[in-house]
Amino acid sequence: MATVQVSEAEKVYILHGVRDDLRVDGRGCEDYRHMDIETDVVSNTDGSAKVSLGYSDVLVGVKAEVGKPRPALPDQGYLEFFVDCSANATPEFEGRGGEELGLELSNTLYKVFSNKQSVDLHSLCISPGEHCWVLYVDVLLLQCDGNLFDAISIAIKAALFNTRIPKVHLSEDEEGGKEIELSDDPYDCVRLNVENVPCIVTLCKIGHRHVVDATLQEKACSVASLLIATTHRGTVTCVRKFGGGSLDPESIFEMIETGKRVGKALHTPLMELLKEEESLGKKRQKVGFLG
Amino acid sequence: MPVDHRRIRGPDESFSPRLFLPSGSAKCAAAEDRRSGDGARGNMDVRAIFARCGLVSQAKGSAYIEAGNTKVICSVYGPRETERRDETEMKRGKLLADVRLAPFSCRKRGQWIQGTEEKDLSQFLLESLRPGVLLQKYPRSQIEVCVMVLENDGAFLAHAVTCASLALADAGIEMYDVVMGCAARRSGDAVLLDPTFAEEHDEHPSPSGKESRLTLALMPAMNQVSGLQAEGEMDAESLVEAARACMEGCYKLYPVVQQTLLKSVRKKAPPPES
Repeated sequence: MATVQVSEAEKVYILHGVRDDLRVDGRGCEDYRHMDIETDVVSNTDGSAKVSLGYSDVLVGVKAEVGKPRPALPDQGYLEFFVDCSANATPEFEGRGGEELGLELSNTLYKVFSNKQSVDLHSLCISPGEHCWVLYVDVLLLQCDGNLFDAISIAIKAALFNTRIPKVHLSEDEEGGKEIELSDDPYDCVRLNVENVPCIVTLCKIGHRHVVDATLQEKACSVASLLIATTHRGTVTCVRKFGGGSLDPESIFEMIETGKRVGKALHTPLMELLKEEESLGKKRQKVGFLG
Repeated sequence: MPVDHRRIRGPDESFSPRLFLPSGSAKCAAAEDRRSGDGARGNMDVRAIFARCGLVSQAKGSAYIEAGNTKVICSVYGPRETERRDETEMKRGKLLADVRLAPFSCRKRGQWIQGTEEKDLSQFLLESLRPGVLLQKYPRSQIEVCVMVLENDGAFLAHAVTCASLALADAGIEMYDVVMGCAARRSGDAVLLDPTFAEEHDEHPSPSGKESRLTLALMPAMNQVSGLQAEGEMDAESLVEAARACMEGCYKLYPVVQQTLLKSVRKKAPPPES
């Protein structure tokens, strides 16, 4: 991952700050940085969103395509995740440099969404065993300044909220052959229910405490971090430990509690914001990438 | 068309005949009938393991673990000089982990080429083992851990962690402690420790509909959790409960692993006859 070098003195400064609940940029241990969210930023997608969290910038595009359902789950559609680490973010990502991080991120996303609750996959089925919607969720990292997981999960939730899947209906001819017909009206589309889409909260263990939304400097001071994905009801869908260090059980349980609390608090304003943005409709001033 | 003769070329798309079984006919191990299906094992019991060290003669250290029908083999090579010289981090050794599932290990045939899933498993293994190894004692060198899952009857990743740390210890790599792995599956209110494949993939929805899987790696002597991975749907309380159950499972298997290591050391260097 994109990393920074932190000197011993800086480490001590950050550690002591975290101990007293005051971080380098003035935040408390459970505060996020300033966050900007904009949906519908790429016109060629079925749903898109751009999230910037501090200096971390993430762009997510969702494309819906008609595919064949998985043989084991014939009456469900599915989601595909792909994370691309653009060399724009850091020169380390050039060539195949970003591949490892991209794989780590996308594998985790599969885990976060591997439950029956997050997205109603049955609604993505067109005809059981034959056709279903496949949602390709493509994540592009534009800038890396720590806490990519949280930024990506928020961007995915916003992009899925923004996703409009065209309505189709099946017609059957005399010989029993089925044909998919796309609605003529481009505004005739289905929306996904994103209420239960989880958000990821990453907690970095620094000293004896843990912090939310760590910057790269803070991440360099921590040996282990815990990722917790929670829904708005507080149901945990994924937990994972990252980093080379180990954690003692009690602090893990504490971190899970914090993650659940922070995650729950994150969902309500996010949904309100998304609904408010949508209600503005065409009057909304687009910010785009220069904001 | 160039054909790769080393690999079996089936049709582009093939399915296991099991998929076409009428639903419900498949044997399902529900949480209640665990006792009848699997000997006399309770929900919180782990399977008895068989472990041996030093079976691969070419490797510096190796181990084999069998738990029920889950069979895992692991060999450790190194420490040897690191291949990449451009690494800035030369003061510490580098640990490399590689997990592979044999194509015939699961119900569904896998591929010989390492897929993204196996890379993810390798990463979990690496992150679980790294806190246990004294890497600062091995500057400018790398240690390779190769795990092969021969048969998957559930909880293979947890046993792979145990097997890998056994192999590391067998190779004489300095470690703080043996890293133990344990898995649990939660279906509704029941926690099943060390689940079998049938229990892991039980399709019967529990009344509450909440299912989750958890894999935990623990260093028992220091009471430190070095790896944690959970997915599914769970409450924070049930997650904590499952994690505690896994830790108990690790403590239960710890003496077995210690015995295995003692046995292998005695075999390598028999005590002087007096």
